[in-house]
Amino acid sequence: MSATVRVRAGAAARPAAADRPDATVRSRRTGVRRLAGRVLAGLVAVAVSLVWVFPVYWMLLSALTPNARLRAMPPTFWPSAATWSNLRDVITGTSFATALRMSLAVTGLTVLVVLGFAFLAALAISRFRFRGRTAFVLTVLIVQMLPAEGLFIAQYKMLSATGLLNSVIGISVLYTAAIVPFTIWMLRGFVEGVPADLEEAAMIDGLSRTQAFWRITLPLLAPGLVASGVYAFLQAWNEFTVALVALPAESAQTLPLWLRGFLAASANKGVDWGQVMAASTLLAVPVIIFFLVVQSRMTSGLVSGAVKG
Amino acid sequence: MTTTTSAPRTRRGRRARLPYVLLIPAVAVLAVGMGYPVYWQITTSLHTYGLAQQFGQPAPFVGLANYTRILGDERLWAVVVRSVLFCLVNAFLTVGIGVGVALLMRAVNRIVRVVLQVSMLLAWAMPMVAAVTVWKWLFDWRTGVVNWLLVQLGATSYDQHNWFAQPLSFFFVASVIIVWMSVPFVALSVFAALTQVPDEVVEAARIDGAGPVATFRWITVPMIRPVLAIVLLLQIIWDLRVFAQIRLLQDSGAPVSETNLLGNFIFELGIGRQDFASAAAVSILVLALTVLVSWPYVRSLLKEDRS
Amino acid sequence: MRIVRSAALAIAGVMALAACSSGSTTPAASSGSDAPGTSAAPEAADITLWVAGGDTPQELRDYLITTFAEQNPGSTLTIEQQDWGDLVTKLTTALPDPANTPDVVEVGNTQSPTFTTIGAFADITDMYDELGGSKLLQSFVDVGKVDGKNYALPYYFGSRYMFYRKDIWDAAGLSVPTTLSDFAADVKQLRTDTMSGFAMGGQDWRDGISWVFANGGELATQDGGTWTSTLSDPKTITGLQQWQSIYQTASNVPATERDVAYWDFLNDGTDGAAPEAATIMAPGWARWSIGDLTKNDAGDEVRDGMADTSKFGVFPLPGVDGGVAPVFAGGSNIAISATSQHQQLARNLLKIIFSPEYQTMLGKHGLGPANSDYVSSLGDDVFAKTMIETAAASKLTPAAPGWAAVEAAFVYEDLFQKIAEGGDVTALAKQYDEKITPMLNGQG
Repeated sequence: MSATVRVRAGAAARPAAADRPDATVRSRRTGVRRLAGRVLAGLVAVAVSLVWVFPVYWMLLSALTPNARLRAMPPTFWPSAATWSNLRDVITGTSFATALRMSLAVTGLTVLVVLGFAFLAALAISRFRFRGRTAFVLTVLIVQMLPAEGLFIAQYKMLSATGLLNSVIGISVLYTAAIVPFTIWMLRGFVEGVPADLEEAAMIDGLSRTQAFWRITLPLLAPGLVASGVYAFLQAWNEFTVALVALPAESAQTLPLWLRGFLAASANKGVDWGQVMAASTLLAVPVIIFFLVVQSRMTSGLVSGAVKG
Repeated sequence: MTTTTSAPRTRRGRRARLPYVLLIPAVAVLAVGMGYPVYWQITTSLHTYGLAQQFGQPAPFVGLANYTRILGDERLWAVVVRSVLFCLVNAFLTVGIGVGVALLMRAVNRIVRVVLQVSMLLAWAMPMVAAVTVWKWLFDWRTGVVNWLLVQLGATSYDQHNWFAQPLSFFFVASVIIVWMSVPFVALSVFAALTQVPDEVVEAARIDGAGPVATFRWITVPMIRPVLAIVLLLQIIWDLRVFAQIRLLQDSGAPVSETNLLGNFIFELGIGRQDFASAAAVSILVLALTVLVSWPYVRSLLKEDRS
Repeated sequence: MRIVRSAALAIAGVMALAACSSGSTTPAASSGSDAPGTSAAPEAADITLWVAGGDTPQELRDYLITTFAEQNPGSTLTIEQQDWGDLVTKLTTALPDPANTPDVVEVGNTQSPTFTTIGAFADITDMYDELGGSKLLQSFVDVGKVDGKNYALPYYFGSRYMFYRKDIWDAAGLSVPTTLSDFAADVKQLRTDTMSGFAMGGQDWRDGISWVFANGGELATQDGGTWTSTLSDPKTITGLQQWQSIYQTASNVPATERDVAYWDFLNDGTDGAAPEAATIMAPGWARWSIGDLTKNDAGDEVRDGMADTSKFGVFPLPGVDGGVAPVFAGGSNIAISATSQHQQLARNLLKIIFSPEYQTMLGKHGLGPANSDYVSSLGDDVFAKTMIETAAASKLTPAAPGWAAVEAAFVYEDLFQKIAEGGDVTALAKQYDEKITPMLNGQG
């Protein structure tokens, strides 16, 4: 068992191990075969990337296309008659800044609280055996199976009674409760991926329990925390149904509610799809920024700390 | 896996309380955020509760009448069968493709990996309305890129082909969209789990003569099992009550009654007919159905958990 | 450490924001003193008007806000826009909540019975004559009425009529048809493999019911408080059969389509390709998506709004024996929330909305004014004339308690699709009558 432990500790210090050139000497034939395999994998990866990126590109393209030319035949695959009007109109002509601030507040609060609470609970269920544990685990599992579509009246009544309608706190509590169950399970998976013996081995080496946790366990959990964090971020960021009832005032709108405003056909005009796509693009930008920041922080900051220790 | 039973005797009292302390925040937020809504849902399903009751009229207790009426509704069973099939196909497709993409991320060099990761993230970050709309446009019978491409490639029968006219091809397009939207989450989560699998172990297995398939089956899968398990379970839960995507696709014209899923059913009862009691009852039936569909799976999770 | 501190800062920032936004939601003053009828000036307050969709132009909103503030010193008006698709959800939660209810709300005309029948709106019968009385669009007044009392009044109406390619009709030697059967023959003649004579999706029952109405048929009738679906009525059957024939002989649009952007069909393609339809049926605003490509002030390409009158034109759907066929009228009603704490102020707002000034402004912006005295404000071009002509002959869907359920279940979409696919109209009508009647009475 202790051999495995050492191996794992080694892996922890080099999370990007997949890139390392092979240290093992092997026959030339396998080498060629592996190279061919790598090239093939690379080609498949590029093809997969294209499939996943194309609709996103199409959204961007539509955001830059005047409405009169949207969905024209034959299709144009590059912005031939590009216009910035759609993007300009959705930024200046509306309450974009207010909605952005609200969304950042709600999502920021939700992600921090979710990660904190879920991490503690995940530690409890994966590192301890205690009475009521199975009941808790089962409850958490079942809570996420309840369809949320039928809850809106109760959610509204609850917030209205406590004076929390249109508030960041009110909706964040609802979001946290909805996102925490899954995050607990997800993090539990990652915590169990780090054997408890690893911490104990470190403690034998003279670290305190807290030190062992910070230096050994947490860095190994970094990818899991990033994955769960991105999940929580996107859940809160794109949520629409709960926000609709919990934030009825226009001044408290989040970005998905703001985006919805562009989908309204009216007696005066049809849906302006160019603006819808421009607004959608704006909605996606903070997610990308969040991911890139978190990704680099988590991997560089925490893991390098572990290496130093 | 062994547990930490070797803690020193003196700390045992504190240690015994610790897990409960760790659970307090999560339990509290669940109780506050979900407690009343779930209580409301259960009690409402046992009463008559429509728009009139919402506006203050008394809601008489009717026992299980809402449930018996719904279970007697011939439409329900068609919807249930359709939903379960759709859910299982999509959940397994999503997890299968997601794991494949995660393995691909490990197999390629750093630059290609970043390209792949960013592509996944871009797709994940795309707002649902935009995603469904773009896909709808791509499959449009008149101006869709898919038909145009197929015609360019010589399949002229796809000129003006309507993908949404037949339930089966409607669900094909719906599945493409759902899988496309869900794979990034699975791929990135599984990839995160894969980074916990030490290369040395994989390498050792390879030296011992295990092929890639065997290595994956006997080394990698057991190690990422907890994450894989919860991701699959979550896909099942999500895909069983998928609603907004189907609804948006139906907006462009589709045989509505033959393409409705459980989510549409709840929406139609609740928002459409303002029969909130029946909507609550269906929600609880969907919960029961989800438990049923995922039960073998939940049991193995719990068994594994206990050992 | 840096991470910890920035996290703490982030939390502090979030809390501050939270405090701000929750502070702005102090419950409305709970003084119910301004009861209807009291002549004393109501207590000053901020009242809220919910408008649905983007239909009310900004200029009209500004007018309401300033006029309301002038006429009610100390009080203010806040206008919030709701999305049509979410309106019912938001009304369901907010209207019963005295602390958060909007004071005045716009609702879709066919949504009115859903809320009037359960007492969500205040009784404004005593204001009816003052606000326009019999001059108000009666079909809209009727859907807002329960037991002879007025709860919701018309806000504005829209209409739908035919847009056509005059050049194509002329080239075929055809002129604007004067009867419904002429229309059917013309569009059948115009149809080619690549162009619909009349483009219409099979599920578009809101257009399709014009053929039912034109033949004197109804979707449902009320007798002693009970609604009966009347699809099997001989007149309704005739209308449905005519519609089936016109769909099958003149339209290339699939039977499963509805609410298609038909105006795209009427335009030349951006690469100059021939149009895909010679005729469409659409709401009046479709005009701004039709025409030749031109540049707007911002330099973007737009359609010119049918500037070339030798190429594009409009006409009302003709009736069976000439005249104008009744069409389904779009539009909305307006009402006061029963739980509003500011009934008198809300009534004052209604007075502004039904004032000659505001009614004229509606017309100038292309919205049909509720009061028929001001319909002339729509203008006198061919679009205004056609709109007034068709609106005068327009009809609404049945004001049955279960109507919302029928729409939510897409029952008519299913029926019309099956008819479009060539189903036996008489058998289908019988089958759907049995299905719809209990739903209309709230028993489905």
